Amino acid sequence: MTDDQSGVVSQLLGHWSKGDEKALAELLPLVYDELRRVARSHLQRERPDHTLQSTALVHEAYLRLLGSQPPELRNRPHFIAVASRLIRQILVDYARERRAAKRDGGCRVPVEYLDALPVSSDEDLLALDDALNDLYRTDARQAKIVDMKFFGGLTSPEVSEVLGLSRATVDREWATARAWLHRQISRAQP
Amino acid sequence: MGDGTRLAASPDKPGSAVSDERWERVKQLLHQAMQLTPEQRVRFLDEACPGDDPCRAEIDSLLIADAEARSSFLKPASSGGPADVDDAGCSHALAPGDLFEHRFQLIGALGEGGMGQVWLANQIAPVRRQVAIKLVKAGMYDESVVQRFRSERQSLAMMDHPAIAKVFEAGATSQGQPYFVMEYVPGLPITKYCDQQRLDIPARLELFIQACEGVQHAHQKAIVHRDLKPANILVVDLDGKPVPRIIDFGLAKATAPKLITESEFTRLGQFVGTPGYMSPEQADPYARDIDTRTDVYSLGIVLYVLLTGYQPFDVKMGQRPPLDVLLRKLREEDPPSPSTKAGTDPDSSVAAAAARGAEPHQLTQLLRGDLDSIAMKALERDRAKRYGTPSELAADLRRYLNEEPVTARPAGAVYRLRKYARRHRIAVGIASGLIVMLTAFTALQGLELRRTTQERDRANQERDRANRERDRATRITDFMTGMFKVSDPSEARGNRVTAREILDKASNETGTGLARDAEVQAQMLHVMASTYLNLGIYTRAHELSQRALDARARLHGPKDPYTLESMSQLGWILDREGHHADAEKVERQALEGDRQALGPEAAPTLETMDHLAVIQIDEGHYQDAENLARQAMQGAARTLGPQGSLTLLSTNHFAVALVSQARYAEAEREFRKLLEIDQRVLGPDHPQTLAVMINLATTAASQRHVAEGERLYREVLSAQRRVLGPEHQYTLLTMENLAALLIDSGRLADGEKLHRQVLEIRLKTLGAEHPDTLSSKANLADALLKEGDVREADKLQRETLAVQQRVLGPEDRDTLASRSTLASILIHERRYDEAAKIASDTLDIQLRTLGLGHPDTVYSLRLLGMAMAYTHRYAEATPLFRNAIDSLQNVADQGNRWSVWYAFACVAAAAGRFDDALGDLREAVDRGFRDADGLLADDDLKALRHDARFLELVGTLKGASQQGT
Repeated sequence: MTDDQSGVVSQLLGHWSKGDEKALAELLPLVYDELRRVARSHLQRERPDHTLQSTALVHEAYLRLLGSQPPELRNRPHFIAVASRLIRQILVDYARERRAAKRDGGCRVPVEYLDALPVSSDEDLLALDDALNDLYRTDARQAKIVDMKFFGGLTSPEVSEVLGLSRATVDREWATARAWLHRQISRAQP
Repeated sequence: MGDGTRLAASPDKPGSAVSDERWERVKQLLHQAMQLTPEQRVRFLDEACPGDDPCRAEIDSLLIADAEARSSFLKPASSGGPADVDDAGCSHALAPGDLFEHRFQLIGALGEGGMGQVWLANQIAPVRRQVAIKLVKAGMYDESVVQRFRSERQSLAMMDHPAIAKVFEAGATSQGQPYFVMEYVPGLPITKYCDQQRLDIPARLELFIQACEGVQHAHQKAIVHRDLKPANILVVDLDGKPVPRIIDFGLAKATAPKLITESEFTRLGQFVGTPGYMSPEQADPYARDIDTRTDVYSLGIVLYVLLTGYQPFDVKMGQRPPLDVLLRKLREEDPPSPSTKAGTDPDSSVAAAAARGAEPHQLTQLLRGDLDSIAMKALERDRAKRYGTPSELAADLRRYLNEEPVTARPAGAVYRLRKYARRHRIAVGIASGLIVMLTAFTALQGLELRRTTQERDRANQERDRANRERDRATRITDFMTGMFKVSDPSEARGNRVTAREILDKASNETGTGLARDAEVQAQMLHVMASTYLNLGIYTRAHELSQRALDARARLHGPKDPYTLESMSQLGWILDREGHHADAEKVERQALEGDRQALGPEAAPTLETMDHLAVIQIDEGHYQDAENLARQAMQGAARTLGPQGSLTLLSTNHFAVALVSQARYAEAEREFRKLLEIDQRVLGPDHPQTLAVMINLATTAASQRHVAEGERLYREVLSAQRRVLGPEHQYTLLTMENLAALLIDSGRLADGEKLHRQVLEIRLKTLGAEHPDTLSSKANLADALLKEGDVREADKLQRETLAVQQRVLGPEDRDTLASRSTLASILIHERRYDEAAKIASDTLDIQLRTLGLGHPDTVYSLRLLGMAMAYTHRYAEATPLFRNAIDSLQNVADQGNRWSVWYAFACVAAAAGRFDDALGDLREAVDRGFRDADGLLADDDLKALRHDARFLELVGTLKGASQQGT
């Protein structure tokens, strides 16, 4: 990332944190690119001992995007909020690819990156993704919280800062969302 | 997303059946219910949402789901953190006076860290003693952590060393919270202790060495501490003598073969390791594993602080940069050496020095040299370069205290070699077409810089007589060069931050706006280019060198020694980057200029000559290279002595040029002479000595002196394993050469095994796309081919080629060589048309980029010819060869004059034209071909083996070589 680009990202983050939704739209493709790049470089390594966490991916993308400028830590939770949704998308894409490859009699031994997520298989991740997408339709705020906490690794205080909610609300929403998702997924299993 | 394959959706999908309003209501009630006890809940819900209310079913099912989900569902990797109230309702709050685990009476909290707390307690039973209990914080552990604790209990209890605080127990409470019970150590952190007692450097080192020995003991029990820092190395007084005690092997991991996922390192601010003492691999979330060298690094930091009072990346004393910056620095930058750091901040340096019983300048003096080297070696970012064990670190410190030479010093240069070693590909016997790496040292960082300084001095002396203006610039450069400490290779690490800081400081201090003076600026650019060159960062080096050259050409004119110096540097860099033709042009210009301005035997002239020789080797102009290298060698011997660094280097290059022309016997003589000198002057473990030994081994191997070659390789290999480590690229190089030798002498299985070992290590350390990894793969493919496993060889080779084409480009030498190999595999599979196509395409490119005389080109030509011969197109192939031979007549210097004739012979043999084949072989012999054994071993000529004339030819050659002709 050039210095110019990290400046832009930092600025956009700043605007968005002040409530400018348009900045988010501009930010997303930049973040997405970087996340993809970071994820790809890790997910395609053929090292069988490789493990990966979505939070670490996001962390790395954050450092890369904000580069040599000392990042304002204030912006970090906002960044992660954006990134967490995207990282889920990316991981799900990979999971689908691998599932398809396995069915074709696939070529490679899959990288066990999901070990670090307490979701133990591609199937689980995809099920979670489906359920989460359903949740977005029911209660978008709860779904966002799940994305941020689970995929992004934000703490409750950080989530409450990003969303402008009280700590208690965040915790309640999180608990409810979790129960809802659990139920959704158990029902979906044959 | 959305490929249509979704899991079965639940029948009563919310969002369709439940309206927003209803959901809000459900949520609200749910939230309230969740905060009540189960009995209260039922009562509340019966009132607010009775049984027939459609919401009730929803709420009930969610409550059930909640109960199930609480314990294990969706625990984020970053679960727990002091601020997170997670699911587990219990808070595990402890207070003084509490009875813990029925036998420990808590006295007070000793401290609290990210992961846990430490309590002072009195153990009541079975023995009475004071202990320290470390608990993992509630919410910071899960099943896997608990299991880990259990499995480590045994090993921890087994540690018994005076420098390690004893761990009495490790276990988990009934709620599953892990804890350790340790000996309570009422001491001060080692750094504080030493400062308070104003211990001088030797006394500090004594304490530190004991600590190292303790860590070593733990390593022998396969326990890595992973969190070594002064706070964990306490010093107590035992009978008046200070003794270190390492505590808190708390979450130390047994170094079992299974690799580790670090969910402990999850996000900023939540580490197991302590940021200032973390090793680079710990700062890298993707590092494969933490091993004993991680502890060495942390010990290195402690040493650093003991020596200087600063942590390496502190800006001011005690002031750490922000966390992300620190992590990045850890991964990417080298810290300043202790002696440099000690002098950084004038305010605190007096205090720091006093605490070590010295004045500031004395301290710097003391640290410079061996202590710098030792500390920096312990702090190497690359684990392979660090001390392998704490006892090695301790041993070097002991040597320092006993005023013996330390191993860190000469080893400093070793680690730069990788960047400078020239690896030169030579076919070991045209028959096998195998790629064997030959190391030809072209420069060692220290040597290069030393020479440059010397040469600059000499050039300056001549110029200063003419122009006093430049005197000032020279003094400034020397001053700056001194600031870069380029005279000592192990200190001239240079990193971007330090260079800039120093430059800024330099310009401030001279107060004359140094950077604005154009001449000085040019010199600064040149020096910085050197620094980047030494670091192997060629793009930066190139940019800076070009600017320096432009500026100097403008300021001093094109014939000035300064300008020429930059020119020579640029040529060198171009060669490094692979632009051999350009490099040659530039270097020739520099040489011409040097000759005119300084004379043919001036050191800069000779050095430029040597550079040019290496460039020629890269381009395949071996005879020119030989002449140049010989001139440089002889000139250097005369002016700098037979042991001068340039003399040794150019001799090596001279011999390499000989080997490239298959003049093995001569080359061997040179290498042996050189080896003897290197062993005497540099020592048997010096990297240059080892490199020459490798070259000698390869030369022996090329002459099929198998036993000798093997012996030499194995000798070098064991030295390299010891000095550089088993995964060092040089070690691997030697292994590959040895493998090639084994294969060539028929021990295919052994050779294959060795190639596989190398490949495995390269995959691990360099990744699947690194050119060296690919070359290993190609070598393995070749070995498999020889063993007859054609399919596997084909597959490997195609894989390799695919990556090379993508990563290196379709015209890169390696890519082309792989294509040739693939063609040869296809010939084995009798897929002649495919082979011909590939060989032909490859040949076209090679003709353009390498020229006809290059061995790679000739090899492709041979493959093409053979493919054609096997498909009955010998008549078509013949003119190709005749043309080639004709064109080569006019080329002054070609790799091996006989090679095309030899290739022609192979083609003829393949086509069954034995008369032609023998005629071609005789032509080859006329032009210098001598390898009788090679003839017999070459499968491409196997059709001739029953022909008496062929055998006669072999016999004649053998006889001739035995007579030494």
